[in-house]
Amino acid sequence: MAERTIRLKIKRQAGPEAEARWEEFEVPYHAGMNVISAMMEIALRPVTKEGTATTPVVYDSNCLEEICGSCAMVINGRARMACSALIDKLDQPVKIEPLTKFPVVRDLAVDRGVLFENLKKLKAWIPLDGTYDLGTGPRMGQKVQEERYPLSNCISCTCCMEACPQFNDKTNFVGAAAISQVALFNDHPTGAMLKEERLRALMGDGGVHECGYAQNCVEVCPKGIPLTRSISRVAGQVMIQSIKDLFGT
Amino acid sequence: MTDRFETHEHDVLIIGAGGAGLRAAIEAMAQGARVGVVCKSLLGKAHTVMAEGGIAAAMANVDTADDWRTHFRDTMRGGKFLNNWRMAQLHAQESPERVKELEHWGALFDRTQDGNILQRAFGGHTYKRLCHVGDRTGLEMIRTLQDRGVQMGFDVFMECTILRLLTVGGRIAGAFGYWRETGRFVVFKAKSVVMATGGIGKAWKVTSNSWEYTGDGEALAYEAGADLLDMEFVQFHPTGMIWPPGVAGILVTEAVRGEGGILTNKSGERFMQRYDSKRMELSTRDEVARAIYTEVKEGRGSEHGGAYLDISHKPADYVKKKLPSMYHQFKDLADVDITAGPMEVGPTCHYMMGGIRVDAETARSTLPGLYACGEAAAGLHGANRLGGNSLSDLLVFGRRAGLAAAEYAKGIAQPSVDTAQIEESERGMLAPFERAEGESPYAVHRDLQEAMQDLVGIFRVEEDLKKALVELQKLRARANRVKVEGSRMFNPGWHMARDLQHMLTVAQAVTISALARKESRGAHSRIDFPKNDDTWGKQNNLIRKERGEMVLRQESTRDLPDDLQQILAEEK
Repeated sequence: MAERTIRLKIKRQAGPEAEARWEEFEVPYHAGMNVISAMMEIALRPVTKEGTATTPVVYDSNCLEEICGSCAMVINGRARMACSALIDKLDQPVKIEPLTKFPVVRDLAVDRGVLFENLKKLKAWIPLDGTYDLGTGPRMGQKVQEERYPLSNCISCTCCMEACPQFNDKTNFVGAAAISQVALFNDHPTGAMLKEERLRALMGDGGVHECGYAQNCVEVCPKGIPLTRSISRVAGQVMIQSIKDLFGT
Repeated sequence: MTDRFETHEHDVLIIGAGGAGLRAAIEAMAQGARVGVVCKSLLGKAHTVMAEGGIAAAMANVDTADDWRTHFRDTMRGGKFLNNWRMAQLHAQESPERVKELEHWGALFDRTQDGNILQRAFGGHTYKRLCHVGDRTGLEMIRTLQDRGVQMGFDVFMECTILRLLTVGGRIAGAFGYWRETGRFVVFKAKSVVMATGGIGKAWKVTSNSWEYTGDGEALAYEAGADLLDMEFVQFHPTGMIWPPGVAGILVTEAVRGEGGILTNKSGERFMQRYDSKRMELSTRDEVARAIYTEVKEGRGSEHGGAYLDISHKPADYVKKKLPSMYHQFKDLADVDITAGPMEVGPTCHYMMGGIRVDAETARSTLPGLYACGEAAAGLHGANRLGGNSLSDLLVFGRRAGLAAAEYAKGIAQPSVDTAQIEESERGMLAPFERAEGESPYAVHRDLQEAMQDLVGIFRVEEDLKKALVELQKLRARANRVKVEGSRMFNPGWHMARDLQHMLTVAQAVTISALARKESRGAHSRIDFPKNDDTWGKQNNLIRKERGEMVLRQESTRDLPDDLQQILAEEK
């Protein structure tokens, strides 16, 4: 059968402590297939190129339309979403690895809990304790809305953190996604109540000063969020806050 | 006996972390309850994230004539009057408050000139009513609720699947599940449980639903003895992507046809001419779906079994400006340039109107201690859901479920769990590893999807439905004999073996309900009974497990009180 096939090379790891190894696959080609649908083919028939039986590949995924942010992985050396990684546009064998900055759970699934921890640290929410009347809700002009809209596009995929040279074991840098959320909430009418606390949390270890302006984050962001702009803005706010703190005003 | 399992104890356990589950969790915490949230995937990635259009709420920011009465009437009309009227009333009355609350918690909405929340028009809604954030309202909603929950400090158990509800003396005592990551079992002791697991679309081949939508909530509730309601009402959207395979089922918005998109069959004929020559492509959803279905059945379908939808006769700039998200969806996900050539589309399984039967005020199921909200619950939408009413449903009834579940928990002591139930579930779960041989669960799933797509799809007929019941029986037998390779650690084949059981249960419930309802109403279209029937218009299909068997019975709907009757009678 002269069926057209595609080749994939996938980094497998049976568990957090297990040794990583590469497996190669050859799966039937379908027009317009992406990395996820290629891995679904493997799940249907989990056999390597050499003919050895193996297990379906493990990865996080959900919406398959690039809105949930689950299926981030390193594909041909670049951090991106697997659902929008079209096979026709990739060199073969397509080399697929887990994100490298996060602990591997199994195969391509990694633990990205650190993003949540960072958002907690930076209080990336609106401070409400439910004790006062909500009234008619915050009014917000279209202009502020338009300013905040791009930042609210974040799908927590962590591609920006993966691509950042400063996000590593040594720096504790919180990463672009979390800083951009600080910008988003500092601009919110009620969210601004926690502005000072957020900025102080970005002064110390792992704070905004760790950014080396490599600009990789903005390159890889699947949602085109102006991350470097957020970082510059927040860095400015942090500087003003530290001067204020210094003079005790 | 339960010592060998990791055990957690809460007042209220929420299963599912979409909009409904998170809203329920927030409310239960506000009541002082100890709350645990269990979800199959990662926090913030639930299906709600994919909702685009907006949240329906009669805030009257744009059309000042709007009020809850009109929203109520629209919802009842859309549901072909089979809705639980009290739910439709509460939903219409409380949606605006829930939207304001969401905004207070940080959700961004598009604005009107004077800084209020902007509202857009949508099918079936008399006024401009949908509060939205561009075309990604669901993402905003999920992130806002998640931030709020994180701030309040809820316990979240991610990548955990519930295998059965635990009961003692006919009341909820908790739930038993396993960590997808390690394959280890876990016991959740709880005084009450809120089921917020969403829909069942993965039992069909072409669906807009994500992998999580395997009917877990409906199946778990049914197995524990709760009633399911009107399971035949499954909404199929006429235009989903059917090709390429990686994106099959993803929604193609009605706006494509609104902007002049043309439907053709394999010989290039604009077939809507023969079905609705007046409205053509802009005919109603069921008409368009019926037309595509008929073309395919009669051998005139597109290459992959659908129809061609083409907008490329319009200037490319016009298409990109008017349909930006559709342009990107096809470009990024399918590498199809919709300004240059046609899309291939077909009906896609989209939403479940039926589900767990609940009380309108409290979202209480018929099983004491079990509550349900969102898509997993039934009643609000009747025979057909209006766009935008889903996100508001999640907020209104998520809150009510969380409130009532916390109240219930206050009044009782922590129940003990029944180890026999746990051990039975454990044995069933491990069986696929112990079989010397057997087929792959993926193969059974594929055949289930084929059967439901072909026999219990958008248009139904007695002969097909009866055939489906026979097929489902065979599939169940096969599912009970599947073999899983490898270890228990993050094993997708093993997860599928389990999800398959849930899908088979809901598939059977849908099929027997569809067979019983001998009329066409809303999303339920019977080729052999194409008209509305007045008797069926006043009765619900109920499903319950009795002595191990799935039993179906009918129950009359309650009459509307005079004041609501009057609202329905008004013409606006």
